[in-house]
Amino acid sequence: MIPLSHLLTVSIGLFAIGLFGALSRRNAIGILMAIELILNAAALAFVAFNAYGIPAADRDAALGQTAALFIIGIAAAGAIVGLALVLAVYRHQRTIFADDMHLLKG
Amino acid sequence: MTDAWLLTVLSPMARAAFYLLAAVTLAGALGVTLTRNLFHSALWLAVTLLGVAGLYLYLGAEFLAVVQVLIYVGAILVLLLFGVMLTARIADPAVPALNRHALLAALVALCTGWALRLAVRQAAALPAGPVAPVPLETLGRGLVTTYVLPFEVLSLILIGALVGAVVIARPERRS
Repeated sequence: MIPLSHLLTVSIGLFAIGLFGALSRRNAIGILMAIELILNAAALAFVAFNAYGIPAADRDAALGQTAALFIIGIAAAGAIVGLALVLAVYRHQRTIFADDMHLLKG
Repeated sequence: MTDAWLLTVLSPMARAAFYLLAAVTLAGALGVTLTRNLFHSALWLAVTLLGVAGLYLYLGAEFLAVVQVLIYVGAILVLLLFGVMLTARIADPAVPALNRHALLAALVALCTGWALRLAVRQAAALPAGPVAPVPLETLGRGLVTTYVLPFEVLSLILIGALVGAVVIARPERRS
């Protein structure tokens, strides 16, 4: 039997790697991918807690899985808008490197 | 049915499968962040997403595993690949993949992970073992009763994101 803490460790690992990627990738699409990793880590934690019976009430028995579904939906919306923004910036600035986008820098 | 599921989870083979899945997932995540070529990054992301889907299967959330494969691998990842291929200079090895704050970013990520791990270790009472998996009927019924408002708000968000993306990405009219 796997203890819940091991599952949470996997989730934490995914989150930390995603955070590192979001902070250090130069490519804007790479940053989007790292954010997907972070969202997956959160969804995994939700599902893990749910599988170990954390919302114990009968009415909320599927709360964790519902939250994970919502996370997947919001991730889809985020990816769509993020990619549209990247394409718009690429069209104007001819770059998709986040550290070359300094139009607002004083 | 429930007993059979519990037996599968308790068996050592399932245990080995879990650690294998976890290792594949984390290795894929490392590949996503460290690979220089963004196209390979996207392929590593597919490995990670499939690994997470496997973990969902292991946790008895079959529906979520299918949704993960369909939406994430089938839709979001293909969208990201389109984005990768629409923008040039992706595979140029002369372009560094990480910015100059990479060491600082690694430090921040390590500290965050360590703090979260500490929080898990100091949690008062984590449940000892898995319970019977939630039947799909409960999930579906919750979506149209208890959580119907967030569900509808999510559909509005998706519509707004779609329309907004079309408006943002549309080429400007020359006037």
